[in-house]
Amino acid sequence: MNEIRLGAIFVLLAGGVFFTFVSAVGVIRLPDVYTRAHTASQTDTLGAGLVVAAVVLAYGVETEVIKALLLLVFIFITNPTAAHAVGRAAYEEGIEPWTKGDERR
Amino acid sequence: MSGSDSIRPYTESEIIMTAVRIVAPFVLTYGLFITFHGADSPGGGFQGGALIGVVVFMLAFAFGIAPTREWVGSGLMTALAAGGVIVFVSVGLGTLALGGKFLEYGLYEPFLGPDATKWGMEAIEIGGVAAIVSGVIMALFFLTAAGYASQGGEDV
Repeated sequence: MNEIRLGAIFVLLAGGVFFTFVSAVGVIRLPDVYTRAHTASQTDTLGAGLVVAAVVLAYGVETEVIKALLLLVFIFITNPTAAHAVGRAAYEEGIEPWTKGDERR
Repeated sequence: MSGSDSIRPYTESEIIMTAVRIVAPFVLTYGLFITFHGADSPGGGFQGGALIGVVVFMLAFAFGIAPTREWVGSGLMTALAAGGVIVFVSVGLGTLALGGKFLEYGLYEPFLGPDATKWGMEAIEIGGVAAIVSGVIMALFFLTAAGYASQGGEDV
């Protein structure tokens, strides 16, 4: 039982680190504000989300875990909304999405 | 800013409004929690006040800056900032009046009992710092946002 839990914690942490890494690369490499906003929101949603899920598993049944679960819920509500707000504001400002062949901006 | 023809009234996003409706009460509760916990655990008036101010930011982002500014009213912001200063200074000067030093909480023991130092600190944190920070941060936000005509702001 303990091995399964340890394995699950490891998988969740590895997933969190993986998504954080991918989105860090994406923020540097992707060409325009829409793609970068999309990848940046991944860090907080999937990266931090999976790490917090690992924390929940590691602590087990405790009062501290309620805080971590609340954090998880709010991460999943607020970060996609923030990404949406960034993309929407960029569109309202009249920024054209990047298409193949354009320069990076 | 983009070209002059793109200036149009800011339209609210259903997604942002819904998310803010869900999150805002929790953020306000959390801000108050941090404020009231300041004296004996991590947190304090400064951080709690900032979170209380952030609630107003969120409402402004979701429902438009001008309506939120009218709803909050400059009177409330002034009252928070100035009232906080008054609370802070009067708690501090109270000890001077009792013949001690500025903010020497121990002198309040005849009125507040043995925990006078803690109560004094709470009064400073909750009534003083938190109120000042939340009032000033809201006022700064609305001042910064003023002048963006496309978002319904007004020129100052």
